[in-house]
Amino acid sequence: MKFKTLISFLLLFIFTKAAAQSPTYTNTFGMQFVLIKPGSMVACKFQPTVGHVDFEGKPLPEKIVKEATAMAKKDAMPGFKVSITKQFYIGVFEVTQEQWQQVMGSNPSVFKSDSSAKQPVENITWNDAQVFIKKLNATDKDHVYRLPTEFEWEYAARAGAQDDIAWKEIFTLAVLGGNTPSIGGTKKPNAWGLYDMLGNVWEWVEDLYNEKIFADPSPLQNGKEHVLKGAAFTSDVKNATYMTHAGGPGNGFDIGLRIVMEVK
Amino acid sequence: MCFNACMLKAQIPQGFSPIFNGKNLDGWHISRTTHQGTTLGCEVKNKAICITQKPFGQGGVLLSDKKYKNFELYLEAKVDSMSNGGIFIRSSESGIAYQIEIDENAGSTGSLYGERMPVSLSAVAKERAKVWKANDWNAFRIRMTGDTPHITLWINDVQMWDVQEPKNDFIAGAVSGMIGLQSHWTALYSPASGEWNGLTSWAPGAVHRFRNIAIKELE
Repeated sequence: MKFKTLISFLLLFIFTKAAAQSPTYTNTFGMQFVLIKPGSMVACKFQPTVGHVDFEGKPLPEKIVKEATAMAKKDAMPGFKVSITKQFYIGVFEVTQEQWQQVMGSNPSVFKSDSSAKQPVENITWNDAQVFIKKLNATDKDHVYRLPTEFEWEYAARAGAQDDIAWKEIFTLAVLGGNTPSIGGTKKPNAWGLYDMLGNVWEWVEDLYNEKIFADPSPLQNGKEHVLKGAAFTSDVKNATYMTHAGGPGNGFDIGLRIVMEVK
Repeated sequence: MCFNACMLKAQIPQGFSPIFNGKNLDGWHISRTTHQGTTLGCEVKNKAICITQKPFGQGGVLLSDKKYKNFELYLEAKVDSMSNGGIFIRSSESGIAYQIEIDENAGSTGSLYGERMPVSLSAVAKERAKVWKANDWNAFRIRMTGDTPHITLWINDVQMWDVQEPKNDFIAGAVSGMIGLQSHWTALYSPASGEWNGLTSWAPGAVHRFRNIAIKELE
């Protein structure tokens, strides 16, 4: 009886704690976060498309289409299931120039002006991002901040989507084109309330880059560069999808970050 | 006789320094952020860089490690028909660049375009047909100078156009950049993204070959 009561209390404690996590949180620097709950996705599935017509809509020679279809089939990859087992908070927006300035005391951005405070910070290396996070953790001792892993980032960006994203939807979510990044949140948020996961600035994630089209099931232990996700205002609708697996160093002026706050 | 004459022509001009050693891709790297693709096929065969898609439908950009500001670039190209590529000049790491288009299918080889940036003044190589050798090696010489770019193109020693841009079109005002060789993408990651008729941009198995790549840096 005593044992059963103890178990009941423990379960109640676990459920209460889980339920107690607020769906959103804003820290002392004004950084807004959304709680991302555990779940799974199929990542790194490659189903290359084959066009059948030319730019004028005329059918392409059958021989070429047949050859392309065979090559596409040969290079296709089934992907693999990725489980996110632990809930976490992720930034609603990319870290802004104002927030970087508050934490670091300086602003490295190329597109810096009197009105750029709410634009994402850019022109940062992966190591710069780590220094920022270290300082943020030293300042706000109540929380633990870090970069998302590539799969955490992609899971949050997909917001429940199992397949890749349609072009017409990308245009509603992503800042693409123009000569500078935009202030955060000018486009529609994704289904979980996150802005600018696609477009605006590339975002550093924790993982090392494997020089392949997609990530491996387990992250590399050694490597020269780190992974970039989400594309930027300099990108194209073709790679502004949550599947794109890019690597540093990139242009600099279109590279920023979004951070994770761990759930205690 | 003709063979000897052709061989003599296929040499780096005097005053130029090779930036491709004819053996491997030392001094070059693949862009990891271009939308064209990040796993470009690029191998050295018969002293030429052979650019292909890899895997199917994913192109990319091969970049020189070094950036150049004022220069003349010389190279020889042999390109398959039904394939869209280009020579990038002052390219950024993600392949934002002024581009000398190579597209035999569209008939736009030698045109001055922008890659991921609008170009104030574009240009067409109207006289190209007079000197072009289809399915064979053709020599490109590109001169680029000035903070506000002044660009001139010669194909097989004949000037195609001379363009003084009215402004520098680069994002963030770049006045130097890498040399890039591009293969265009044709496939999306998934049909869920939509329909794309991109096969016209790169036929299955198409190759762009580049050799005798050399540069003369200018003041």
